[in-house]
Amino acid sequence: MLKYGYGGRILRVDLTQRRYSIEELALSWVRPVIGGRAANTKRLYEELDPGCDPLGPDNILIFGIGPLTGSLLTASAYFTVTAKSPLTGILGDSAAGGQFAAEMKLTGFDQVIITGKADQLIYLLITESGVEFVDCPEYKGMIITETTDAIRRERKDYSIQVAAIGPAGENLVLFSSIVSSGNRVNGRSGMGAVMGSKNLKAVAVRGSLSLDVADPLAFLSEVEKIDQAILSHDEYRKRYQLGTTMLMKDLNDIGILPTRHFQEGVCKYVDDISGQKLARTWKVKNKSCFNCNVHCSRYYLIDDREAEGPEFETLCSFTSRLGNRDLPFALEMNQYLNQMGMDSISTAEVMGWIMECQEKGLVRPDDLDGLSITWGDKEKIREVADMIAFRRGVGERLANGATKLSEGFSEEARKLVMQVKGLDIICGDPRGIKAYGLTYAVASRGADHLRAEPYFELTNRKEEAKKRFGTEKAADRLAEEGKAALVTYSEKIALITDSLTMCKNIGLCMDILNFENVTSLLRYGTGIDYSPDYLQKITADSIDLEHELNKKLGVKREDDTLPERFQKEPLTEGPTKGSTVDIKRMVDEYHKIHKWDD
Amino acid sequence: MIKVDISKCTGCRKCETVCAFFHSGKVNHGLARMKVLNLYETGVDGPLACVQCQERYCLSCPENAITIGNYGQIIVSQTRCTLCGVCEKACPVGAVEIFNEIVVVCDLCGGRPKCVEACTQGAIAYDPEEEGPSLAALKKQTKKMNPSQKRHFYLQTLGSKLRKIWRRPNA
Repeated sequence: MLKYGYGGRILRVDLTQRRYSIEELALSWVRPVIGGRAANTKRLYEELDPGCDPLGPDNILIFGIGPLTGSLLTASAYFTVTAKSPLTGILGDSAAGGQFAAEMKLTGFDQVIITGKADQLIYLLITESGVEFVDCPEYKGMIITETTDAIRRERKDYSIQVAAIGPAGENLVLFSSIVSSGNRVNGRSGMGAVMGSKNLKAVAVRGSLSLDVADPLAFLSEVEKIDQAILSHDEYRKRYQLGTTMLMKDLNDIGILPTRHFQEGVCKYVDDISGQKLARTWKVKNKSCFNCNVHCSRYYLIDDREAEGPEFETLCSFTSRLGNRDLPFALEMNQYLNQMGMDSISTAEVMGWIMECQEKGLVRPDDLDGLSITWGDKEKIREVADMIAFRRGVGERLANGATKLSEGFSEEARKLVMQVKGLDIICGDPRGIKAYGLTYAVASRGADHLRAEPYFELTNRKEEAKKRFGTEKAADRLAEEGKAALVTYSEKIALITDSLTMCKNIGLCMDILNFENVTSLLRYGTGIDYSPDYLQKITADSIDLEHELNKKLGVKREDDTLPERFQKEPLTEGPTKGSTVDIKRMVDEYHKIHKWDD
Repeated sequence: MIKVDISKCTGCRKCETVCAFFHSGKVNHGLARMKVLNLYETGVDGPLACVQCQERYCLSCPENAITIGNYGQIIVSQTRCTLCGVCEKACPVGAVEIFNEIVVVCDLCGGRPKCVEACTQGAIAYDPEEEGPSLAALKKQTKKMNPSQKRHFYLQTLGSKLRKIWRRPNA
């Protein structure tokens, strides 16, 4: 029986039968995957029928946390939600911070596995003693904070944490999200739609069990070392002041801030839409996830618009990426999308693709029920987002995402969808960050940076690059050389971070976690024997497992690539001018390192 | 008393986590004598602990299990306490709550509160000289509430004042 760190139990919920069962989490099962993302993937691999309809009752929706989630370890606030993605048809998962995970920990369930479909809209209240199935047809159409507040008020308990879907999830928008703690989003790959397909409006957690670590004083001492590393980090002040919104100017400075749907990498009005501008104007305070000392998030209030955020991806998605220079409008969209439960990146990709295709004459208004939309058209952006959330009019087609929408259009138009494996590319032009380009190409949930977050290539640490990856070029953002080795390293740290479940901004971008300190944290936290070598091995195994799962779900070697634009069209201005990505070279090298011969 | 400035609170709950850990070696907000609430619909966050109110409602304990210590802190005699819940009901702000058969309330950590050290935002301060506020008005308003509801009500009250400051136009 797992005593320390872990709750030691898993919860299985069958929504069709309205039954649940509790199983012991075996050490032999969990030791090689730690928890969080890797444990969820393993569960999906073992139990998913690969041919199942992602929006059918057989899809498996898994909420997972790690052994140190909700502990004294800074920023150990994340949880991962995993299922077969309705957007991409392959492995789908998404993590979020906030307060939900720490409360889930106190229920003593390390993993909650949800199958079936409820006969009407319900929410689950999970406590240490089990599950209550609560009918809530009156919650239909409710936005996120209303849902959260309604559950807490009805239960007369404000320690309850709620992960809910909004109208977009109910309406099965294929890129709908799950939102907890008001504005903390499991945004990518459509996990909200999986909940919606199961008639599951929300998962509420409330626990009374206590988190116990094996050696409290030794654990505390490890945590203090990590806190020191964070507080003395070069980027600490900047991250405290701006959080991820610092990237608006940082990416613009190196010419890779997606502008007008990746047609440009330099945005001339960046100062109007930057994180610095937001911090000076409508930000009213810092916000934080559970037990974090970076406090990188923010709350803003402007007229009747207020919310936590936006994070960089949402900010960029609804400013430069769509040619909008009005910051308050982006703040409005952040609030809207979080309340509706809709992924900002994929929503913006649908719009950006239409804008570019209409500009180039590749898609006519007639092709989209008369819809015509141009760069920065705020009224239209607002209206189209609402049509998507409610699948109204042409929104019915747009709600399936840019990749599916583009089917039926010319090859030229289809090529302009900025996606890999059906998942829309984040805001960061890979032509100027090659390791990120490789990450988008090979990431197991489709175009994604968080699978490796090779931030190292932006740090200019040449000596360290030579030491770690055999070439100084690994720290040169414009080089392809050494990037397969860099990604192979940082995807392991990313996986460990996801499995512990810690924040990647801290664990990975700030380069805080490594195999040595994770070994200590796990030993003192769980009392289970780990070693750096063992961690190296199991992270590599988990990455292989994701690859195997995706093979079962139909992913082919040639899917590990980037849109043609990034391979052939150089950017025309700024510090990344002239650069394209030799993606084949990097992918080949990456596959060779992984000994994947398919 | 423990003084809280909610305008500086980011809702990280480090004070609460550290409080529970140093009192019990474990983590759970039920074990924490300082509890943080996050009001997602208004962006207000704040830690709540015993404010050492002038009225000292918890002294209504029928078993005389509660006394006031040298620092003004509440001392609960575990031998006298029968877990009757009168103190929990009496506190107007939800700062006294029974959890796992223990009355959980701030003990000021013997004069060096860990929550003050834990807060990186300067949102919590300890001033041994300052007297606590009167909670007579709140007492009436929160009469029928449980501790969680009381904390919520109290923070909402503080939060609505803070939001007026937020609403002032930026310089």
